[in-house]
Amino acid sequence: MARVTVTPDPFTLVPFDAAEIAALVEDVAAAVEFPLDIDISVEVDEELFPPLTGHMSDIVDGTAQLWVSVANLENPRVRRTFAPEQARPDVAVMLLRAKDRLSEDFADAPPDPQLDRGERAAWDIYAFGRAERFGFAVRRPRELYGFRLQHGFTDVADAAFERCWNAPTMTYAGILEICKETGAADRGVSKVPIDILRQK
Amino acid sequence: MKKMLPESELARDERFVRSKIEDQIFDPRGAKIAQRNTGPAKMATDRPAAAERSRSLMHGIFVGEIQALEGAGRTCFDFDDTEAPFQLKLDMARQCWDESRHCEISIKLGDHMGAEIGEYSENTFLYAAACNPDPVFRLCGVNRALEGLAIDVFSTMKEFGTESGDPVLEFCEDWMLADEVTHVKMGSDWLRRLTEKDPDRRERALEFQRTVDSIFNLGGFRGDDEENVIQLARRFRELAGFTEQENDSLSALARESTQQARQMAEMASAAADQS
Repeated sequence: MARVTVTPDPFTLVPFDAAEIAALVEDVAAAVEFPLDIDISVEVDEELFPPLTGHMSDIVDGTAQLWVSVANLENPRVRRTFAPEQARPDVAVMLLRAKDRLSEDFADAPPDPQLDRGERAAWDIYAFGRAERFGFAVRRPRELYGFRLQHGFTDVADAAFERCWNAPTMTYAGILEICKETGAADRGVSKVPIDILRQK
Repeated sequence: MKKMLPESELARDERFVRSKIEDQIFDPRGAKIAQRNTGPAKMATDRPAAAERSRSLMHGIFVGEIQALEGAGRTCFDFDDTEAPFQLKLDMARQCWDESRHCEISIKLGDHMGAEIGEYSENTFLYAAACNPDPVFRLCGVNRALEGLAIDVFSTMKEFGTESGDPVLEFCEDWMLADEVTHVKMGSDWLRRLTEKDPDRRERALEFQRTVDSIFNLGGFRGDDEENVIQLARRFRELAGFTEQENDSLSALARESTQQARQMAEMASAAADQS
């Protein structure tokens, strides 16, 4: 059995090739030094479209289970067109977060649907910073804006962003600490589930 | 220089990619998504893909500003002084100045959000509304329907800036909103003056405005509810001179568009399931 499996196969709503996506994931996994003994399962939600982006990474029964909106893999300028150059950094972030979940540092982290938005944003930035250092074409201002939406447009939030981006290591406890510092932890609970795009 | 420039001849550099409305309509995912709960469409930080949605909308505003500039500029040039009085052209020239600033502000806001020029596709049906050969129809389509839409869009984005604690977005949108109120008032004023002795032409122009309004409701894009991306900004519309009756009528039109979109999605989905 292949190490990377992609569903659906075949795609029916977009002309994407599961084998091509699997090869891309395999390539990115090697680049971010994802453990070779862990299988990777990628579920692409092909019903979503730009700008409905989103992805999740969990470890279930020793397998990295990645869920991603097809919008993350698609060229926003030309509908239903695969954009590997755009997909690569997002896949890197998904794999880096899955790799985090394999470590003791994130052993306490709840599954992605149970993270709050502030925690998720901080963890993503920690992953994007590393993805950039691995050589992926990451757009820092774009990620800063997403972080600010959850942590505030303040100097404290921007300093927290820098720390997450540049951190060589991080723990889930560290993520929680950052959320306290910026005030993201004090935000009320949203009525909109964080995984609403994943729910069918 | 050519008069009545069609949208196909608008000048753009290589960064811009134009999309066709039929690509959106015939995307098979539309019917599937219409049946799913992807959360309230109204902009807020706790909505899925909040950052990407606001970037995409901001880019849409940016290309809309370019087209509004082009539309107002064409109105200065396309008509002689008997068709469009010189004072009207002066108003349109002033509007060009405003729209140019809006383009620059939108670019800066795009930078602030991490978007790049041309990152998203452009559709040109806003400019298409500015191609009517009758200046009165054009004013109704552009200055009353589209600039009215701009009031709704800027008010929605301003609220999003407030909700997310983003002072840059909040203030920029507020400044642009003030201009849009002026643009609508100019449209209403010239409609009244140019059709003073021709009520039939006025009614036909208002009908054209309703058609443009209907198109830009875009199957639930605009309305009074949380399920609409853009909220009808009744207070600012009143300041711009729209009557309560006009606002109610637009709201009803928006609800109708949302309902029609839902029905079409259900039909498309049923057809897809059968095939």
